[in-house]
Amino acid sequence: MSGIHLVNGLAGLLIVTSLLVVTARKPAHSAMFYAAQSFVLVLVFLALAGVTGSHELYTWSATAFFTKVILVPVIMSRLFGRLEDQKLGTGERISPALSVILAAVVVVLCFVVVSGVALPTAEAVKPALAISLAHFFLGLACIVTQRNILKQVFGYCLMENGSHLTLALLAANAPELVEVGIATDAIFAVVVMAVLGMQIHRTLGTLDADQLTTLKG
Amino acid sequence: MSSVLPILLLLGPLVGSLAIFALPVGKEASRTVEIVHVAAIGFLLVMALAVGGVTLASGPVGAFGQWVYVDPLAAIFVGLVGVVGFLTGLYSLGYIRHDVEHGELTPFRHKLYYGFFNLFLFTMLLAVTANNIVMMWVAVEATTLGSAFLVGIYGKRSSLEAAWKYVIICTVGVAFGLYGTVLTFSNGSEVLADPHGAILWTTLFANAKALDPMLVKIAFVFVLIGFGTKAGIFPMHAWLPDAHSEAPSPVSALLSGVLLKCALFVIIRYYAITMQAVGPEFPQTLLLLLGFLSVAVSAFLFFVQQDLKRKLAYSSVEHIGLILLGLGFGGPLGLGAALLHAVNHSFAKALLFCGSGNVLMKYGSRDLGTVKGLLRVAPVSGVLMMAGALALAGFPPFNVFVSEFMVFNAGLGSGWIWLTIGAALLLTVTIAGFVQIISGSVLGKAPETMRKGDLGFATLAPMGLLMALVLIFGFAVPQPVTTLIGRAASVVAGGPATALEPPTPIYGIAPQLQLEARR
Repeated sequence: MSGIHLVNGLAGLLIVTSLLVVTARKPAHSAMFYAAQSFVLVLVFLALAGVTGSHELYTWSATAFFTKVILVPVIMSRLFGRLEDQKLGTGERISPALSVILAAVVVVLCFVVVSGVALPTAEAVKPALAISLAHFFLGLACIVTQRNILKQVFGYCLMENGSHLTLALLAANAPELVEVGIATDAIFAVVVMAVLGMQIHRTLGTLDADQLTTLKG
Repeated sequence: MSSVLPILLLLGPLVGSLAIFALPVGKEASRTVEIVHVAAIGFLLVMALAVGGVTLASGPVGAFGQWVYVDPLAAIFVGLVGVVGFLTGLYSLGYIRHDVEHGELTPFRHKLYYGFFNLFLFTMLLAVTANNIVMMWVAVEATTLGSAFLVGIYGKRSSLEAAWKYVIICTVGVAFGLYGTVLTFSNGSEVLADPHGAILWTTLFANAKALDPMLVKIAFVFVLIGFGTKAGIFPMHAWLPDAHSEAPSPVSALLSGVLLKCALFVIIRYYAITMQAVGPEFPQTLLLLLGFLSVAVSAFLFFVQQDLKRKLAYSSVEHIGLILLGLGFGGPLGLGAALLHAVNHSFAKALLFCGSGNVLMKYGSRDLGTVKGLLRVAPVSGVLMMAGALALAGFPPFNVFVSEFMVFNAGLGSGWIWLTIGAALLLTVTIAGFVQIISGSVLGKAPETMRKGDLGFATLAPMGLLMALVLIFGFAVPQPVTTLIGRAASVVAGGPATALEPPTPIYGIAPQLQLEARR
């Protein structure tokens, strides 16, 4: 199997892992699936580095491994493991089956959109590109369909992984600092959301986004 | 030109913030924290004006291999961060001390407030001085993270809710901005001789005609949604009324007066690239559509609010809409009017949010049903509130009138007659809303039990300075500012520099544009 096939195949695996993140029953489980997904992402980067010969991508793989496979999941499972909201249950607005169907629709739509892009670099990796775009919107869907505010944090992480993959596919030679900047920002975002989530849990005694309805109008 | 000035400018608030975080917390609110804070914002003001002056005198300044870049466009926004940051920072001294004395903030949170306040200023400066488009995105994202704790600093149910909505909506929104950034960068690195140059806005702008038009359009839509969320453009504005109303008043002033403008600045940078790459029609249609919708929806939402700060928040959405209309009308007059309106709105809105702080300190409420007779209870605050409300409603001789007039003029000049008339009619709804504030809360009959007496010098002095700016920009916009705005408009439009001549009561109402010979 050639490198490009590997890239596209692994990208397909990203969708599976992100569905696991979205449909996991507990935020702490989502953190583990997120780590798994990030690991797949790192593999995509490595496969892509092999194909393009881009040195930058090897560095990216290393930083992504450190930040996304280890650091962020550890922070999240540490912080989220202690927070529980029995009343909320799974906090899904739609059933897991519907989530899967929705994901399939998003992927198909993204394939249609990407087929219109005329960049020469994108030609070989179009399936992966479509998946990276779909990933972005799956993250958005996760935020909209989950009432558990901790699960919403994962939605953001999925969106961020999606744009990260697009960047790697379309601009493999971007300076490392770009990637470091994005990764650092993502870590801070997760930490800030986690701290706020903990404060909300402590003050309001709930993790349910639907309970946050004091402010209106 | 390479210079050390932008680096000093950025370092000021960053070092100030780190120093404040490092200070110990005692049993009482620390004076040392306040002294470091004042030193940091004072330094910021001086450096911001200095950078503006140098840009005016000798052209754009850069640093860090052009990653940091201040051209006339950036200089305007740097000036806004400097001036409004300094004045709201001064106002904070009296306001936050009041909160500490009344047990709403602990000494620890008092320190956190000033630490995050300076960090927030730093992130906004970073956003408006960034030439590296990814750094620009990182900085805008960082503004959310830096200010989220400021929004939720009271730790109450409602403030935490506002902070959560703010963080989620803005990070998700700005994720769209990241996608737009990534697309633009990939597009540039594909077509440019040196792919690494694609990271710099200046290079992308210079080579915009070579970019793939389809991708430029898609990227602009992502950027407009993404950074538009942060700028409070309808329909992505949902976070704004909550965050503006729940944050401490000086932070509300900073959010509305400066943060929204920083996000707009990023949109303007991409607007410039898009106009070069695909022509003005596509981006202008989008800007006019969103601008008009923002004005239309917020005018009515503004009118029905009973909470003073929520009302002001919706007014911000409306003025952002007006700025978008100016940008969308295009041409040197439209762009210049939009930029001047951004400045004018910042001063007037900062004044009113500080005024709402005085109201809160005096009445302990933001409810317009409770707040009555401010003029009798606290006369100086009352006069300042009234003048600020009249200014924002668009009455002469205040500054907002001047730039609103110019925006409408640009609209008529560019042939969008019905759109302009529609927007102008909607402003009457806003005027009615401000009359509510003036007739009920500023005039009106004060509660019998209310103790009379104005607030201290510490809170009134910064408001007085803002008032002075509102009047100065209303009577005659200072020459350096008009020159800077004229040049900034030409940076965006990519044409020769034009000097802006705003209508003033002194010169008569005749906005003209004069070609200024480039040095």
